[in-house]
Amino acid sequence: MSSRYTRNFCIIAHVDHGKTTLSDRLLEYTNQVSQRVLTEQHLDSMDLEKERGITIKSHPVTMNYPAKDGHIYKLNLMDTPGHVDFSYEVSRSLAACEGAVLLIDAAQGVEAQTVANAHLAFGQKLKVIPVINKIDLPSANLDLCLKQLEDILTISAEEAILASGKSGIGIVDILEAVVTRVPPPRWTDYPQTRALVFDSLYDSYRGVISYVRVFSGAVKAGEYMLLMSNNAKSEIKEVGVFMPKMEKRASLGAGDVGYVVSNIKDPSEIKIGDTLTLSARPAAEMLPGYKEVRPMVFCGLYPVDTGDYEKLKAALGRLRLNDAAFVYSSESSVALGFGFRCGFLGLLHMEIIQERIRREHDVDIISTYPSVVYHVIKHGDVMLEVDNPVNLPDPGEIVEIREPTIKAAIHIPNDSMGDILALVMEKRGTVDHTDTLDATRVMLTCVLPLNEILVDFNDRLKSITHGYGSMDYELGEYRAADLVKMEILVNADPVDAFASIVHRDKAEGKGRELCEKLADIIPPQMFKVAIQAAIGGKIIARDNVKEMRKDVTAKCYGGDISRKRKLLDKQKEGKKKMKQFGRVSIPSDAFIKVLKTN
Amino acid sequence: MSGLATAQAKAASVSPLGLYVHVPFCASTCDFCAFYQTQPTADGVHRFLAGIADEAALVPWTQPVSTVFWGGGTPGLLSPGDLEKLAAIVRARCGSAPEEWTVELAPASVTEARLAALKAAGVTRVSLGVQSFQPALLDALGRAHSLAQIHRAYDRIRAVGFASVNLDLMFALPGQTETEWAEDIRTAVALAPDHLSTYCLTFEEDTKLWVKLSQGRVKLDPEHEARLYESTWALLEAAGYAQYEVSNFARPGHACRHNLNTWRMHEWIGLGPSAASQQAGLRGANISDLDRWLDHIACGERVTEDRVTLTPALLAEDALIFGLRVNGGVDLAPWRGRAPEAPWPQIEDTLSTLAAGELLVRTGDVVRLSNRGRLIADTIGTEIMAAFEPITETA
Repeated sequence: MSSRYTRNFCIIAHVDHGKTTLSDRLLEYTNQVSQRVLTEQHLDSMDLEKERGITIKSHPVTMNYPAKDGHIYKLNLMDTPGHVDFSYEVSRSLAACEGAVLLIDAAQGVEAQTVANAHLAFGQKLKVIPVINKIDLPSANLDLCLKQLEDILTISAEEAILASGKSGIGIVDILEAVVTRVPPPRWTDYPQTRALVFDSLYDSYRGVISYVRVFSGAVKAGEYMLLMSNNAKSEIKEVGVFMPKMEKRASLGAGDVGYVVSNIKDPSEIKIGDTLTLSARPAAEMLPGYKEVRPMVFCGLYPVDTGDYEKLKAALGRLRLNDAAFVYSSESSVALGFGFRCGFLGLLHMEIIQERIRREHDVDIISTYPSVVYHVIKHGDVMLEVDNPVNLPDPGEIVEIREPTIKAAIHIPNDSMGDILALVMEKRGTVDHTDTLDATRVMLTCVLPLNEILVDFNDRLKSITHGYGSMDYELGEYRAADLVKMEILVNADPVDAFASIVHRDKAEGKGRELCEKLADIIPPQMFKVAIQAAIGGKIIARDNVKEMRKDVTAKCYGGDISRKRKLLDKQKEGKKKMKQFGRVSIPSDAFIKVLKTN
Repeated sequence: MSGLATAQAKAASVSPLGLYVHVPFCASTCDFCAFYQTQPTADGVHRFLAGIADEAALVPWTQPVSTVFWGGGTPGLLSPGDLEKLAAIVRARCGSAPEEWTVELAPASVTEARLAALKAAGVTRVSLGVQSFQPALLDALGRAHSLAQIHRAYDRIRAVGFASVNLDLMFALPGQTETEWAEDIRTAVALAPDHLSTYCLTFEEDTKLWVKLSQGRVKLDPEHEARLYESTWALLEAAGYAQYEVSNFARPGHACRHNLNTWRMHEWIGLGPSAASQQAGLRGANISDLDRWLDHIACGERVTEDRVTLTPALLAEDALIFGLRVNGGVDLAPWRGRAPEAPWPQIEDTLSTLAAGELLVRTGDVVRLSNRGRLIADTIGTEIMAAFEPITETA
């Protein structure tokens, strides 16, 4: 089958620049789905995706478009995840295309993610079609957008299509541009079958369904497929395309985007970016760009109610089925009981998983401080990866600790420059260069330690810039830093949930803040209780929990005894919910409060 | 040896038995009071007295009564004649003259005739509900007596000559300063009572004060209350009144035996609406309503509310919880013998932890709280309960 009339493309944009609305218009125009089905099915994605304006799972769709040249084109629209945490997934989705529609909100202009996504597309050698969207907004600034297109993205303004997803302006122009500007499928003449796996979906009846873009050859049911990264072999049960519902087809040919059902039941066997070939006539080389995805950010997740442990375990298991990048293993904490150490691609990934556990699985959870993966160099040139402060070796064994850094592009209004520079400094970052975006905005290119942006960096960026700032980042190199493990001791006992790896210069301040907060949140105790922050046994900050001053009933005679017992019983039940630290009882929600306020 | 001496010797060799009578009548309701009380009417009093006699007839009187306590309500609202009638019912059940017989009186109801009736009946101890010597605070509490009435009542009581006289005072009243409270203590001490009960104001549900608290018109301040407790203990100690329980102070030999026996988990019989009893393996209370109590008694039923079956371990637990409120503390030895099934290793652990934190002092088998421990006796009580847990839960 010829792939001459096939075009594979994606839409890339900054959050909220109108990607979903525009895709819907394209589908509508090509009669792929009626208005009714559109709301029911195509948009039937997770609440979180809708709320946050990001795509987590791929929603590919095949459209038939009768172009002005008289031919009917098969257009495969790839939906791409829209966040840096998923940049590898984005790069694989892009790798499945030959072209990209780059959306720019006419009122907002070029933003951090616009730049990052454009660079990803250039990196994949995609033909980029710039589209200025929402041009019917009163606040649209067309001149500025076109200027930014040339200045920042080095794309000629003449190429830009003016559109409005909302009112349907420019839809045909976009479809025509896809047909005329995006090249037909590449690498179709490779001698063996090669298909790129760009996503997968777990189905409890059919096992793991791979989403693929076929580059060469053909894939059909009955044949044996081979996954080249791990040599997993499996019989192909069914193939088909997304209309957008899955529709069975006899085979998928070069240039096609579709799905493959096989015998594979374990989601971890299907790796994003892998090359699927045929076991009988395997390809010699994989498609370029495959990487083993590794979590970058870790934290402990614990059920608030210890009785929810099994429920949490089941929730994590189900989430993992559709998210191979998410990893977890069981762990226990003195303060928080039994829970799980979880690894994520990044902060947003972490937030999304936590949110889904709460919403979709109805388990109330508490998370410990997030940690990045440190490279700990021990004597004898042994490198150890540490993602949990608890596992950091004794300082005596350590030659050097290296931390991951990021290269961040921060877009801000000019007038918040001073405050943002101070924030970057505070977070141990450096500004490599500053670019003027327009009369009112600048872009800072910074290198920052990843662990410094884990907690409140984005919130502070938003607050300093009154919501106008945006940031995008890519992972940088590992760098040696003077990092130490800081422990929090309650009554001289270390509380594992509060241990953290921090820069030595920041340990004291952070330690003091934590001690104060804990001393404040822990209710008055019967005994003197010290809260201390320590590095390797050396106390760097301390505070005391308030001592209980008065809790005694004045009148306690014969008739009061039953009443008194009932009251004490109630108090005792309350105490049962507390965690014991030697002779100190601390309500577990005290830990939660401290972890939450950070 | 006289008959009385024999009976007393016998009573001492077995456990003491207390008798509490709840007289539920009050002329008005004080803002802080959660005790059951009702307006007195001639008919109500008459039915009450008949009910007490009927209830007494339901009780298995197996041993002589050691101590009697009339509380309320305001027992002093009964007429001298009614007081005599009530005393006659009580005396008939005592077996012999009790070693201590206390009657609570409100200053406004103290008359020579009533005092004479009580003295003649055999009452040995009068407890006068002064509450405060500050007219403004008395008013704020909704108390219906004046400063002059307090002094007149006290003089009359002393004139009749009871063996022991107690004054009830309250502190941590809304708006009361530390100085005002110290002044109250000095005024009370100047009267030279034998016993003083000082109660930190407690906000009980179903009181006017509780309503004010929940509306935010009155604020709790534990630190202020703790300071008042401490200054009370120091001032009274210096004045020759030894503290023997959280809220009770006495000159030597004047501690209230009836209450001490209660805290040591001895038995007592309660008569009257809302009165609690602890006897023959059962703890519970009568219903808090005059008419319904009378109905129950008419059916031959008493101790109908909050019934708990007492086990040796539960009694040991309560002896510790409530005994630790007493300055003399608790002797563990007899309880270990009486309740060997209690989780003693666990209890010892808890006691050691409390001792290590300087909340408890141990001398041989006797444990007692330090001053700091006594200020948080409720929290310590929950620790004791937790230590007893495995036994009481399965009991």
